Amino acid sequence: MTSTEVTPAARASRSRGRGDGFRLLGIRLQPAWFFIAPSVLIILVFIVYPITQSLWYSLFNWQIGATNQEWVGVGNYVKLFHDELFWNALRVTATFAVVSVASQLVVGYLLATALAKDTWINRVTRSIFFFPTIVALTTIGLVWRFLLDPDIGLVGGILHTIGAEPIDFLQNTSLALPSVIFVSVWKNLGFTMVLLLAGLKAVPAYLYEAARIDGANARQLTWHVTIPTIRPTILFTTLILTINSLQVFDLVYVMTGGGPLFSTDTLVTQLFREGFQNFHIGYASAIAWVLFALIMIIAAFQLRLFRYNDVD
Amino acid sequence: MRKIPVLVAGGLVAAIALTGCSSATPASSGPVKLSMWTGFTGGDRPAYEALISDFNASHKNIQVTMDVQPWDTIAQKLPAAWATGQGPDLATPNFDPNVISKYLETNSLLPLEATGNGATDINVDKLAPSAIKAFTAKGKLYAVPANIATLQLYYSKKAFAAAGIADAPKTVTEFQDDAKKLTAGGNYGLALADHETIQMWPVLQWLDGADIVDTKGCAVIDSAKSVSSLTTWANLVTKDKVAPVGKTGAEADSLFSAGKAAMEINGPWAAAGFKSAGVDFGVAAIPAGVNGTVTLASTVPLAIGKSTKHPKEAQEFLAWYTGKSAQTKFALASGFPPVRTDLGADAQLSGNAIVSSFAAALPTARLYLPGVTGATQVDSEIYVPFIGQITRGEDVAKAAAEAAKKIDAITGCRS
Amino acid sequence: MSTDLRAIGRVRSPRGGSIRRRLGKTTVWMIISIGIVIALVPFVWMVSGSFRSEADLFGNPASLFPTSWTLHGYTAIWQQLPFLRLLLNTLIFAGGTTVLLLLFDSMCAYALARLKFRGSKLLFWLVIATLMVPIQVTLIPVFIELFHFGWLDTYQGLIIPRATSAFGIFLLRQSFISIPRELDEAARIDGAGHLRIYARIILPLSKPALATLAVLHFMTLWNDLLWPLIVTSSPDMRTLPAGLTLFGGQHVTDHAVLLAGATISLLPLALAFFLAQRFFVQGVATTGLK
Repeated sequence: MTSTEVTPAARASRSRGRGDGFRLLGIRLQPAWFFIAPSVLIILVFIVYPITQSLWYSLFNWQIGATNQEWVGVGNYVKLFHDELFWNALRVTATFAVVSVASQLVVGYLLATALAKDTWINRVTRSIFFFPTIVALTTIGLVWRFLLDPDIGLVGGILHTIGAEPIDFLQNTSLALPSVIFVSVWKNLGFTMVLLLAGLKAVPAYLYEAARIDGANARQLTWHVTIPTIRPTILFTTLILTINSLQVFDLVYVMTGGGPLFSTDTLVTQLFREGFQNFHIGYASAIAWVLFALIMIIAAFQLRLFRYNDVD
Repeated sequence: MRKIPVLVAGGLVAAIALTGCSSATPASSGPVKLSMWTGFTGGDRPAYEALISDFNASHKNIQVTMDVQPWDTIAQKLPAAWATGQGPDLATPNFDPNVISKYLETNSLLPLEATGNGATDINVDKLAPSAIKAFTAKGKLYAVPANIATLQLYYSKKAFAAAGIADAPKTVTEFQDDAKKLTAGGNYGLALADHETIQMWPVLQWLDGADIVDTKGCAVIDSAKSVSSLTTWANLVTKDKVAPVGKTGAEADSLFSAGKAAMEINGPWAAAGFKSAGVDFGVAAIPAGVNGTVTLASTVPLAIGKSTKHPKEAQEFLAWYTGKSAQTKFALASGFPPVRTDLGADAQLSGNAIVSSFAAALPTARLYLPGVTGATQVDSEIYVPFIGQITRGEDVAKAAAEAAKKIDAITGCRS
Repeated sequence: MSTDLRAIGRVRSPRGGSIRRRLGKTTVWMIISIGIVIALVPFVWMVSGSFRSEADLFGNPASLFPTSWTLHGYTAIWQQLPFLRLLLNTLIFAGGTTVLLLLFDSMCAYALARLKFRGSKLLFWLVIATLMVPIQVTLIPVFIELFHFGWLDTYQGLIIPRATSAFGIFLLRQSFISIPRELDEAARIDGAGHLRIYARIILPLSKPALATLAVLHFMTLWNDLLWPLIVTSSPDMRTLPAGLTLFGGQHVTDHAVLLAGATISLLPLALAFFLAQRFFVQGVATTGLK
């Protein structure tokens, strides 16, 4: 994967000192720093600084524009751990993430393998599956909300014509979350499929040949050749999908607003409600930081799990 | 060769820095420009835009630009905008009048002093009293009503005729019986919404003399009267299926539009939509409750930011906005009752069926959770889920007791 | 060259192999067809709904196609919105940010892929961390920052904070790593410095990955609703998704207009998608996500 051998040229440049830079104001500037400068600058100014500000807010009962803020220290966090709505949101978010990521990986993989050959019909089918990705989340949330309405939606209408009882998907406390997960998977499946397909295509043919010569059947090929080889792809995909699904907001907000009875209330939905409807900025920031910490832990765990050693 | 990245990076930094520097423009001697943020998306928008353009046409020295954004966006931007001393001169912070208290806490609102009886004053005495009360704090007025609406009973004449009912119900008993009779053939008798709506359930409670909180902010939702009232209505929903469960306001409207519900408690904004959907509907007063007629009033506050550079002109705009000619025109265009109470004699308004019927309900209309601390939280985190629970079959008394405890925790009531 | 992927997921039995395979294949294609229907029905509904009157929409929910046609949705948009202005703003926002993003992300990815430097591990984790911050959290601080820079309601305020992405940096890094270092060495022997290697060798060889990233980000930015609404306050700086929110009221929603707006907003993306998708699937394939 990564070439870690040191080429002669690199060794030569490194012998000139740490990296091949030049001096400015007594600091040895490395050329790498110029390459990373714009991105790093933007990240520092517009992401790192705001998130640290948010941490600062979480230590107060923060009121925007107030001259004196009321210090609570870890008070918001303590309140959070006693808040049953928080634990509910945590449960909902975790369920959403696990189910949607797992379904997308499995179905995405199956689709990728089924449509792997570059025939004309496969390419068209792949495009069709990818199409839902390009539509805006808020739009498609509204469309699906309408489609799933038992009285005036398409699904309800079809059920009615075949004589079945109309099911209120989004207002049933046990069906609302699965419905939202379904729409989320519907939207992102094509994207997952494409990512996995890319990994699949890069598996060298000789690996299969060698295994088949040893008498491996299809299932063994999948488990012992394909999946280990595309492990980095699976990791990358899982990581992106997990991080995104833990932060889900737009789809849930548009489809159910966190209801019914908080059965689809995710952490970001709760954050939004606390921050912008209840005006509890400090409390909302505490939720944000708990979420942030959670995502970091899960990401680190996933990286460890897949033994991602591609870092220099 | 290696110098080029330096130049690129340096140039970039310089460019960023330069764009940030804006030289202060000298004060221009043209018309005063006022910016206004409102959340009037959807069907009402043209009526408000017409008002603004009328004002701009008749006032050459003050020009108002209205920027319409979704309510959520205003909720996210406005506090920070006003708190940092920028932001619009005028704004409707939320469709919920209780939000005014939040902005008062951050000292973001300009107290309205240009009040009085003159033509360019805000005629406070002539404006809807419930709205003015909601917008007054510590003796000072902080907003005028951008609109005020009441809820009335829309009923489908076709469905009534089919069920053999001659007129709209006049008492609560008739109301409940009619709802049951009209629930037939896959249609609902009453389209009820419990979230993302101007609330309808409080009206049902008030009809039976019950309420959610009392004047001190302490919960009375668990009082015997309240529990029995809610139990009756909850049973109508769960057992007799007179109304759907878990609908938003827009969804309830769609049901009535589609002819799938025979009645709906709704405001004047819906009339135009129902008409274009081809519904043969009538508007009747909400049936009388144990304490006489009562209905829900909803008003949107229009306030001036404290940091505005043109307080005088902004208040002049508010005075014109709540003036006789503007309100007459607005009422006729939107179907909303005028926010003024002294337009009863106007022939055009009383001739307009929609406007007059909604306006007639104003004197006995009540606001939802007026002056209650943490009202938005009480609504979204307690009341809405509570209604959701009882319409899904949970025991009313138990749910009400829990809700009352949570309400008291938020409003800070010590009973 | 391409892998023999027939081996994966297929039953390869020596006895009666071709019949079983055909049966298996038919089932698979039946399932895929159901999937295709589910994938497309919402779009069909959305487009057809933009031509339906309210009465038709509510009265005939089971029908996918209009029974009474109206152009009201489209005419309302044209009449009530400064449509061309919105389109222009969206193009500037989505296009400008994508171009800058490609430049900054590729530069950063080059450094991570090719250069050993102090702080590279820190940078890696920093970039990952930015993925984990939901936008709702940074909204108010960024809003206040933009105010202090004087960038509210300006194009630079819209574009610059979004001009880099962690996903892009990682994707490109993977792609650059798969380019053989020998090419770098050869160029270095000819006296090329980093910039020239970056511009003349790495970038041209990464066209598919760059195209992939460009298309993905353009689509996301085109559809972005919250960010432009936060940054802009004046109607003539609004983007298309923001402009379309004007039609969704709390109670009164004109569905034909809403759906027409959604359809119009989708068209350029669909066009770009169909033009680029062959390149695109190829592109992701050769990013070397090995």
